[in-house]
Amino acid sequence: MMADIIFLALSAFAIAGAIAMLTNKSPIYSALGLLITMLSIGGLFALLSASFLFMVQIIVYAGAIMTLILFILMFLNIKEEDLPNEPKKYPLIGLGLILMIPLNILVLKAVSNLPSKDLNITNSDFGDIKPVGIALYNNWLISFELISILLLVALVGSIVLAKRRKPKEKRGEQQ
Amino acid sequence: MISLTSYAFVSMILFSIGVIGVIARRNIFVIYMSIELMLNGITLFFVTFARYHFNLDAQIISILVIAIAAAEAAIFLSVIILLFRSKKSLDTDVFNTLTQGENS
Repeated sequence: MMADIIFLALSAFAIAGAIAMLTNKSPIYSALGLLITMLSIGGLFALLSASFLFMVQIIVYAGAIMTLILFILMFLNIKEEDLPNEPKKYPLIGLGLILMIPLNILVLKAVSNLPSKDLNITNSDFGDIKPVGIALYNNWLISFELISILLLVALVGSIVLAKRRKPKEKRGEQQ
Repeated sequence: MISLTSYAFVSMILFSIGVIGVIARRNIFVIYMSIELMLNGITLFFVTFARYHFNLDAQIISILVIAIAAAEAAIFLSVIILLFRSKKSLDTDVFNTLTQGENS
């Protein structure tokens, strides 16, 4: 019973944060709504007895990525006139809602036909850091190494993109 | 009461809100956050199936997805800085520099 209440509360928080992200005009409130969603999804991971993924979600998403987003938002110093005005926001949201309903019905119909199993928290070490690490380094080693190369490329690429370009000689003389 | 269908319901709602955000909003930050929301919804689906089949491979795929999202965050935010520096706007309709000859 306790797990049911926790599940209902966490899913309600996650959906409310997502809706707040979708409808707020200012991007900083959208980022805070997304932060609530990330934390609630971390709680849902813990409820599914994925304790290592719970920590990864809190540290990487709610810690690193959201800090990066909020830092960039404050760094750009966005004013009211920089924001685009969106007169057709709510009609487009309604259109998207209508477009997404068939996919949702299809997936939920497919999933609800599966045999039901117990999804409570287990007493075994399923999802702890040791079995996850053993599986990661035994079966998924090449993917892990490729992810490290991808992160290195992203690091170099972001530095190259965000580096301030040198002003041209002519423009320097004119100023 | 907690079944596979309820977790699937929550993750499909989050994924749908992400798709609607990409469709309906014009602010480039909100579009980026909607993409993150889609990745999160699918990650929740993967972790649910890992618990359902009692198999750890889906959790490892979720870890890889989170790492890819971190790399994507670095690239996307630096591209946003670049675009905001050249155009002074967050509107996606302004970013048409690749179209030929139009208000270059």
